[in-house]
Amino acid sequence: MKKILLLIICSFGAMWASGQGKVTFSPATFTSEDEVTITLDVTGTPLAGTNDVYIWAFSNDGVGGGKDATTNGQWGSSSEDAKMTKTATNIFTFKFTATTLFGQSPAELINFGFLGKAKDGSKQTPDYKPFKFDPLVFTASQFRLFPAKLDYTDMATVYFHQNLATDINLQRMANIKVSLSFYDAAGNVVGSKQGIAIVKESTILFSSSFIPGRVITLPAGTKLSKFTYQFTGTVKDANGLDIPANGPVTEVIYTVFN
Amino acid sequence: MKRIQYILFAICILSIWSCKPEKFAPIGEPQNVVKSIQGTWGLTKVTQIDQDANTKGFPYKQLDITAVYPYTDLVLAFQGDAEGNPSTFTINSGNSPQIAELTSGSWTVDDAKAPSIISLKNGEVTNSLSIGSYVSLKSGKLIIKKDKKLNGKVILSYQYEFTKK
Repeated sequence: MKKILLLIICSFGAMWASGQGKVTFSPATFTSEDEVTITLDVTGTPLAGTNDVYIWAFSNDGVGGGKDATTNGQWGSSSEDAKMTKTATNIFTFKFTATTLFGQSPAELINFGFLGKAKDGSKQTPDYKPFKFDPLVFTASQFRLFPAKLDYTDMATVYFHQNLATDINLQRMANIKVSLSFYDAAGNVVGSKQGIAIVKESTILFSSSFIPGRVITLPAGTKLSKFTYQFTGTVKDANGLDIPANGPVTEVIYTVFN
Repeated sequence: MKRIQYILFAICILSIWSCKPEKFAPIGEPQNVVKSIQGTWGLTKVTQIDQDANTKGFPYKQLDITAVYPYTDLVLAFQGDAEGNPSTFTINSGNSPQIAELTSGSWTVDDAKAPSIISLKNGEVTNSLSIGSYVSLKSGKLIIKKDKKLNGKVILSYQYEFTKK
C-alpha cells in the first residue's frame, strides 16, 4: 500500500513538474552586467504549441526595490521588445543584460524572475523565480573554482581555503583529498573518481587541477553539463584515532561558449 | 646692464648655432613576422587567464598550468612555401592536452605584414589563434593566445608560450 501511495505521489509530482516548463541560462551563472540568454521550454504549459511568447520580467522578487522590466509594456498588450525568439517547437529564447532590462544599477539588483505570456495576457506560464545575480564584488569563501566560467574541455582547479572553513571538522581536517563526479546533459553520472591526491599550496590552501577527459573516460560524443567536487579527509576522534570527515558537495555548471 | 644684454645675445647666437639636424641610424629592414613564425616550436609555458575576473577586478586572474599535465611534450610546426608564405602545419601533442582540435592542415594569417590571427584549417574545421608580442619572436619565443567567448565577450583565455627548436 505504501509503495502504491509513493507511486501515486511520484506520478503527480512528475505531472506537476512537466507542466511547469523548463528554464536554462547561458551562461549558467551571471552578474547583473553580463549578457544572458534565457531559454524557455513551454512544453506542458498553457503556451505549448504557440508561436509567439512574450517575456514579463521583474527584479528583486521578495527582497524589496523591485521593478518591472522596461520591455514589459502593458499586461493586456506586451511590448514587441519583450517578444521571445522561437528557436524550435515550444522553445523560446530572450537575450538581455539586467542593468539595461530593469534600468537599475548593479548595486540595486539582487535577483529577478519572469514568466512567459501571450501578448494579450490570456495565457501564461508559471512564474520562474528568483534567479540570483552573482556579486560584482569578490567574496572570499572556503571553496573556490578557477576559472570561474569554463566548459568541460577546460582545465578546472578547485581550491579549499581551510582558514575560511566555518565547520569545525573542516577547520581541523587532515589527509585532504578530493572526489569528483561528472554529469552529462541529462544529469546522469558519466564517471566519478574518489580520493584524488591534492596539491598542498600552503598550510591553509589545498587545490586540485584537472581536465575531465584526463580523470574519467568520456564516451565518444558525450558532452558534460556539470561536475561536482567534494574535499574529504580525516579528523581525530576523542581517542586520537582518525575518522573520516567530508566537506559539502559543490556543483559547478559548465558554460557553453559560443 | 649692457654687459648682460651682450651675454644674453651671445648665448642666443650660440644656442641657434649649436642646433643641427640629428642623424638617425637606419631603422633596417621591416620584421617579416610571417617568416619568423615559420619553424618548429616546443611548448614551454601555458597560462590560463580568467578574463571575466580581469574585467570585474577580482583577484585570482591567472594560473600557470604548465606542470599539471605534460604540456611541454607538445611540438608545433609551421611550414612556409618557397616565397615564405604560410603553407602547412602539424601539431604533435605527445601526452600533452590538445591546444587545438586540429593536428595538421594548412595555416593562414589575417594580415601578411602585421598578422594578429593565425587560422588553422583542415577540411571544414577552422581553429583561430591570436599572435602575441612580435618582440618575443626576435628572441625565439612565440606567444599564441586562444580565447573562449560568450555572446562576443572573451571570458577565458589560454596563453601558450613556445620556444623555437
